[in-house]
Formats: sequence, C-alpha cells, structure tokens
Amino acid sequence: MKVKALARPQSTTSRSSLHDLRPTHKNLNPQSHPQARAREYTRAVTAAKLDRMFASPFVGELKGGHVDAVSSLAICRTNLCPVVTGAVDGTVRIWDLQNRRMVASLDGAHSRNVSGIVFGNGIDGQFYSCGEEGIIKAWSIYPKGQYITADVDDEDKKPRARKGNLKSSQDDDAESPHGPLNVYRLPSARNSSFANAFHSIDHHWSESQFATASSDAAVHLWDPERSTPITSFNNLWGSDDTVTTVRYNPAERDLIAHCSSDRGIGLHDTRTASALQKTIMGMKSNCLEWNPMEPYMFVVGNEDYNAYTFDMRKLSRPTTIFKGHVGAVMSVGWSPTGTEFVTGSYDKTIRIFSTRKEGGTASHGGYGSNGTARDIYHTKRMQRIFCVGYTLDHKYILSGSDDTNIRMWKARSSEKIGQLSAREESSLQYRQALVQKYAHLPEVKRIHKARRVPKFIKKETEQAMVQKEKRR
Amino acid sequence: MSKSISQSDEAPPPSKKTKMASDLTLGATHNQILEQRKSLKKQIHSLPRDQKSKVLSHFHGSERTDMSKQRLRNLREDDKHQDTSNMSDIQRHTLDKRKRRQNPALQRQMHRRETKRLQNAVAAADAEEILHTHTTGLVEVETDMERTLQLTQQQLKNDHLQEGVARNIFDLELKEYSPYKLRYDRSGRFSLLAGAAGHVSIIDQHSLALTSEFFVNETVRDACFLHNGSMMAVAQEKNVFVYDDKGVEIHRMDGHRRVMGMEFLPYHWLLATIGHSGQLQYQDTSTGALVSQHRTKMGPCGVIRQNPFNSVVHLGHTNGTVTLWSPSSSEYLVKLLCHKGSPVTSLAMDRSGRYMVTGGGDSKVKVWDLRMYKEVHSYNTYGGAPTCVDISQTGILGIGHGCHTTFWRPEALRLKMKEPYMKHQLSGKGVESLRFRPFEDVCGIGHTMGISSIVIPGSGEPNLDSMEHFTNPYMDNKQRREAEVRSLLEKLSPEMIALDPDAIGSVEESNLIQRRQRMRDVAEEADARKVEEMEALKNKKEKKRMRGRSKIAKKLARKHKNIIDDNMLKLKELREKEKAEREAERAGVGGDGDSDADDETPSALKRFF
Repeated sequence: MKVKALARPQSTTSRSSLHDLRPTHKNLNPQSHPQARAREYTRAVTAAKLDRMFASPFVGELKGGHVDAVSSLAICRTNLCPVVTGAVDGTVRIWDLQNRRMVASLDGAHSRNVSGIVFGNGIDGQFYSCGEEGIIKAWSIYPKGQYITADVDDEDKKPRARKGNLKSSQDDDAESPHGPLNVYRLPSARNSSFANAFHSIDHHWSESQFATASSDAAVHLWDPERSTPITSFNNLWGSDDTVTTVRYNPAERDLIAHCSSDRGIGLHDTRTASALQKTIMGMKSNCLEWNPMEPYMFVVGNEDYNAYTFDMRKLSRPTTIFKGHVGAVMSVGWSPTGTEFVTGSYDKTIRIFSTRKEGGTASHGGYGSNGTARDIYHTKRMQRIFCVGYTLDHKYILSGSDDTNIRMWKARSSEKIGQLSAREESSLQYRQALVQKYAHLPEVKRIHKARRVPKFIKKETEQAMVQKEKRR
Repeated sequence: MSKSISQSDEAPPPSKKTKMASDLTLGATHNQILEQRKSLKKQIHSLPRDQKSKVLSHFHGSERTDMSKQRLRNLREDDKHQDTSNMSDIQRHTLDKRKRRQNPALQRQMHRRETKRLQNAVAAADAEEILHTHTTGLVEVETDMERTLQLTQQQLKNDHLQEGVARNIFDLELKEYSPYKLRYDRSGRFSLLAGAAGHVSIIDQHSLALTSEFFVNETVRDACFLHNGSMMAVAQEKNVFVYDDKGVEIHRMDGHRRVMGMEFLPYHWLLATIGHSGQLQYQDTSTGALVSQHRTKMGPCGVIRQNPFNSVVHLGHTNGTVTLWSPSSSEYLVKLLCHKGSPVTSLAMDRSGRYMVTGGGDSKVKVWDLRMYKEVHSYNTYGGAPTCVDISQTGILGIGHGCHTTFWRPEALRLKMKEPYMKHQLSGKGVESLRFRPFEDVCGIGHTMGISSIVIPGSGEPNLDSMEHFTNPYMDNKQRREAEVRSLLEKLSPEMIALDPDAIGSVEESNLIQRRQRMRDVAEEADARKVEEMEALKNKKEKKRMRGRSKIAKKLARKHKNIIDDNMLKLKELREKEKAEREAERAGVGGDGDSDADDETPSALKRFF
C-alpha cells in the first residue's frame, strides 16, 4: 500500500528570520475563490468611494493675486515654472509656479485691459502682451534679459541666471527690469488719437513671428524686430466684424484659425490673401485652441455654453459637442497630451472634458467621448473665469477669474502629489482598473460620477434638462 | 508525484503552449485570431482528461456559461417582439439596425476575447503546475489483493505516516461533558470543541495545545468560529453568546432563542442561526445588526449548512425536506423533499456548489445535483442512520453513522461507487459530528465519549492562497490584523446572496412577458402617482381656501363648475333625460287614470307599476 499525506515543510510556511519576507502562496483554482465576482464588485465600489474620498483638486492660489480681474494668462512653452498673467487694470505679473509666488509686477504695463499675453517660442523667456488701448509690448521674464547675456557672453559671472532661474528683481531702476523690450503700434494709431483695440495675440510655434487680432476687423502679422506689422489682412473673409481670437497651428507653419464676432470660425493661409474655410455658429465663439498632439483638431468655447471640437478638414459640423456649462465658455486650454481640455466659464466653474472614451486608447478625433465633463471644479469664492490653462507636465490646471485670484488645481482630482511607492502605484492601478471594469453598474457609476456642484449650477442644469426634454 | 502530473507528461510540453499564448498580439488580424482559436480548441480537446478539465475550469471560471447564453438569447427574442409604437425615430432606427445585421465588429471583438480567454486558461493551467507546489495526498493499492478500505488508522500511524502527520491521529476521552460537537476555523488551524454539558475549548492544531477552555454550566447545543479563530459563537440553553479566544464573554445575543444550529458566512460576516422556534435569523457580526429573520414554519430545526459556492443557507427539516434560504427573501428559494417520511439528519455541500449530500433517518445518504435539484444516487448506511455528513475540500465524502465513519472518494458524488475509500470504527461511541480539517488530510470526529482525530489522505486542499483572507493557517498577528481590515472592506452585502453568485454585473435575464408586465406596472405606478399628485394639489388648494365670503373661493368654485369632463357630461345627459320624461309625464296627466294610484304607492313598490 502506498500512502501519501499532506505535510508542509516549515520552510514553505514560515519565514526563518524577522527580516525575511513572508512566504506567499497562490492557488489559481477558481473553486478556492468562491463568489469572486461579487467580491470584486464590492472592491470596485470601495475603489470608487476611495477615489472620491481622496479627491481634493484645489492646490492653492498664486500668492497675492491681482488687484483687478485676471483677463489673460500665458504658460511658458519651454519651461515648467514661468507663468504670466494680465489683468483688466492693465497690470502684468510674472509668476513662479514652483513656489507659487510672484516674481514681478509690471504695473501700468498697459493703460487698459490686457487682452492677450503669449510667450515666444525661444528659451529666452520673452513674452508679448497686447492691450485694448492698441499697444503691444515685448517683455522678458528674466530681469534685463539676463538669460541671453549670461548664456552668450559671460557664463561664469552669472551662474544662477544661466540655469534659467526666475530671479526676483528689487531693481532701483524706475523702468521695470523686465522691459518693455519693445513697443509695437499699428501705423494708424501713430497718426491719429484713435487706436484700434487688440483682442488677441498668438506667437508662431517655430518662427519669430506673432499675430494679433484687432477691432479694425484685421489680423496683423508682426516681426519682433519691426515696429509695424509685416502683413495685414484687412476685411478678412469679407466681413467687417471684429476678430476676437487668432491662433497659429502648431504644425502647419502658415495656418491661422480665428474666431470673429460675426459668430464665425475660419481658417486662413498666411501666404495667400484669401480665406480657406469658414463656418458660422449659432452664437459667438469666445476662444479657440489647437490640439497640440493632433494639430488638425481644434476646440472652440462658445457663448451658447458649449465647447465644440472641429476637424479642420471639415468645418461643416463639429466632431463632438461638449456640454455641461450653464454659462458662456470664456476660455479653453488643451492638456499637453492632447487627450483632454479644460474650460473656464462665466458660470464660475471649471470643467475638464476628455476627448476619449473613458479608459479607451484611441482618440479618433474626439469621436469616442460622450461629451460630458470628466470633472468639475469650483470654490465658494471663485467668480467668473476668464482664462484657464494646463501646465506643461499635464498635472496642474491654472485659472484666472474675476475675483482677481489665480488658482492652481490638480488635473486629476484624487491624484497624490509627489512620488508614489511601487505598492501604492500598483494598488492605485488596480483600483482604477476595477472602477473601469464595473463602471457600467449603477452603484459604481453613481459614486464615480457624483460631483457636488453649487446650487445655482444644479438648478440651471435641471432647467436645461427640462427644456431639452420639452424640445424633443 | 501524483497521478495527474504523471498523466500530464503525455500532453504537449508546456513550452509549446507558452509559445502559443504569446502569439496573440494586438495587431493580429481576425483570420489569424480565428485560426488561433481553432487550434487552441483542438489542443485543449486533445489533452488528457484531468488536464482538460483543469483548463476548462479556468476557462469557465465560476461562471455558468449556459446561463449567460440563455440571457443573450432572451434579449434577442425581446428585440424581435419590441413594441415600436412609443419609440422615437432614432430608437426605432437603431433597433432596426440591430435586428437586421449581425454586428461584425462586435463579433470580431467577441472572438478576440474568447481566444484570449482560451489562451489565459491554458496559461493558467500551465502556471498551476509551477505555482501549485504541493499535491494532494493519496492511498494507492499496489497489488490486486489490497483494498484501501482495509487500511486502519493504527496501520497508518505505525507504518505509513511521518511523525508530523501521524500526531494528528489521537483520541481524547471527555466523558463528563459529551457528546461533543467539533468545528474548525477556515484556516484549519484551530478546532472548537463544544461538549453538550457545557464544556467549550479551543485547540491549536499546530501545537496540539489547549488555547483556552471554559465551562458555561448549561447546555451547549452548537458552537462555531466567527471570521477567524479569535472569536466564536456558542448556542447555549437560552441565548447565543459570543466569546473571544480567551473565553471572555463579549456579547449575548438575546434575539436568538434556543438555537440548535449555527453557520457563519465569512464573506458577508453573517451569523445564521436556527432553533426550536424554526426561525432562521441572520445577524451581522461586524455591525451587530439583525439583518433578517424568516419563519420557516417547519418546526424545530438544527440541521443547517451553507453552500460555499453561493452562501445560500440550506436547512434540513424533520419532515424530510431541505429548504434553501437567502436573507433577502422571506420565502425559501427552493424546497426539496429529500427523505420521504423520515427527518433530514445532516447536510453537506461540496465546494463547487454542484452536489448536496443529505443524510436521513431512513439510513440513506443521498447525493443531489444542485443544478437540476434532482437526486443523483444514494448510499445506504449500515449500523445506524447517518448522524453527520461532511465533504472535504477535495470532495471526499465523510459519513458518521452509529459508531462508524465511512469515507468515499470524490468520484462518489458523480458516480455510484461500489465500496468506500476508507472507514474508521469507534467502538461503542455514537458519532455526533464529523468535520474535515481544511488544508490538511485530517478529519475530526466528535462523539459520545469525547473526540477523535483521524487522517484521511487526500482530503485536504494542498495549495494555500495567501490573498484569500483567513485561510492561511500560518498567518501571524500582523497578517491577521491586515486580513481583518481588508475582509471588512470587502464585506459583501446580504442582498448579494442568491442562487447564482455571478448574477451581479451580468445582463439581466429578460423574458418578454415579465418585461411587459414590468412596463405595465411602471405605467400604472406613474398614473397612480399622477392622480395622487392631482389629489394633493386639490387638497392643498382646499386647505388654503378661506371660509367665508372670499372672492377667490367663489372664483375657484365657478372655475370648477366650468370644467367639462365625462362625468359632468353624463350627469347633464341624465338630467336632461329626466327633465324630458317629467315633461312628457306632465303632458299626459289628463288621460291617465292610474296616476292617482301611482302617487299613493310607496316608492319601493313603484317599480311594479
């Protein structure tokens, strides 16, 4: 008779010393794991709950803020830290994101609202601001343009400046050490007391060139070395209406997209004097941004509370309509990954929209998205939002609003700031996968999607739903 | 090496399989995938029986595929008979589209998924060979003359077993408080002894040392561990008490009166009790709340077991029936007449949830298929009716009857076997309870003279899983604490207990009649709500009405008068008809002689005129 009974040697069951890892065992037999699906589902519910518990999107405000409403915001294209904002009172301020503090305040940079700010594409830290009084000014985030001199001339003397650090300047000069390096005016403004207001400014992505939109219904292209525009497109697209936004395409060197106050969105080739395409929306579009990763796509924020993504090859209809706001969309900003964008609205909320199906990989030009916001941010004190933007690392969102503050938000509300340990990361990934797997079940869906919104928003949304049902 | 491994040598070498598994890349075309699926199926088909069943069990998981197929079929039927009158154009269009074409993209996706699942199943079966380091115990005969049945515990102890295993064969004489009930915790580390006369003790099975021992000085009817070996519930004369592993009374559960049988559902943290009153009660041991209580209406009952597959509680009644219960339904889910004319004395379910074994007063042990609720076959017991049955993790069936215990091979559930695997005789001692120890080849027997522990090779699951909470017999305090928190986080809600444990997250089984009924119910409900709202609105207005010469009230009344509805029209018609009749009567008054008599007759008799 041959007999074998179970006997587990001690080496397989317990550790030999306290410093050893505990022995682990795995049994793949499904019968050893009864009710696996119910348990997994419960874990998914817990994961969804944890995700909402950890959600705290507000990081903080940039200390001090402005004196008046923040009207424009520019994030550096080459460096993580510098941010420049302009206010309605004409002040421009330079910020250091790392410490969330102000580097310099350029008081009286403009005499009226700073309608647009944009960074140049170089590493020299130059930026351009345009005001509604009809003046464009060039500035540098480094005092006295130190970056360039240090880099080119004497490297040893100014090591700090060479690193590209933002240095707070307590200069004794009456003029700000940051500039203006240059002032630009339209020729018409030189001769008469009347000046056309600038509404928007954008810098070329590869060349040293910038474009402005002004209230004389014209788009002007400027060379930073020249004080007058190199090209002017007057009476664009056969309309006399003011061009409100102008944006260079990140990939096509000569392509410009614009929004105008005749409710139109159009494309223009700067090599020719004629328009490429134009479409007229139901209401005016306030802002337009090209997708940085899929440069044939762009998003516009509209007065009709929606954001629309368009494929530039076919402007006749938007690829997706992103709904949810209950006020005009004042500003949009793409994440550097091109998979989602953030909108700031007149309804005092920020919404984040994903152009992809949740958990999906392919974007298909925004076709996969269901057109509703992934997340919604608001605070009690935040007023109407005029400008939003993603930081270059795709982790934070900046918003400037009517209450003079510039706020910093996490792009993913429940993400932990800082390093994750391997165990933390794997458990986080497991939790995310679980939520995704069971996202279609009502309990998980409810928890996953639940957001507390201000009463006003809730009421307005309900009303909009009723109106929609009625129209059906 | 066990038999299964030696057989698997004939199968294609694992390296070949692993290569197959890595073949499926994201870029594979549909034809490639189809080809792969075909070859995988062929490969699985050609495997030896053991290996094949292993792969298939991984492929199906715990899912009941036939059920999900049925669901899909029902949904398709629904699509065919949809009522399109209330649909919008878009809805109708999508329905048409769905009906007209087989969605090729969806089909491709499903093929891809199925192929992937097949691959994973093959890979998991491969991995099992590496991960499952231990193999089940066994007794094999070497000559035709030998029979496993002849093997006695004494022989096992003296000749066959290592010292560490042989020490599990022992007898404890505890005459004073007997008969004894014996239970193990989920890891098999601790055993709980409950003497009917009031002796409760816990024995650590690793050191065979007494962890704690105390006397309650009253009848103990049953005892069981809660989530782990550190807490237990004891059903005493009147109430159920909860003690910790030191014997300190933690809680007295007043709601449970004269309990005769208890079962703890580990994933739901529920203690199910039943007793003299025939009330099945579920108590949540983490929150302390009484989740539900059901009147079984079948008299006193002490035979209670849970189905490990779906946590449904089975009760064996004195009238020979077995009922299945879940906390969410006040009526039993299933009722089976198992032993006609004799009580059900014992119950056990196997780990896969397919087979139920019942022992009856008619000296029969019957095996039931829980998928069809039909009897598979039965065994007779000699030397006494079965008092206790249990099925080990590997499927070995143990039966205690009179002073005998008999053990059958796992195949005995599926097929009718001619002779048992092993047996053990306790001369002069009536077997009270019999339980297999999890993860060990040990069986504990509680009887009228104390307890005995014997070794049944092949009864324990050889491979542990550290991620399954409280099933690791070697866990230390830190692991235990973590397991406690984690299993509480994963606690299932009582409503999840149902016959099909995979129902959650799957498509609802739909049937046309039921769905129509449901739609009707919804519509009716909506109507009722509307009426109620209207009524409420009316009442509200009435309440506000000022009594007296209020102009608004008059206005409302006037408005109300103006409302023309069916009732009003009917009344109007009736009134006009009456009026016309009256006028006709008046016109014919002169000539009619009977009119005086007519006036004099009482109103009740008027119809005769």
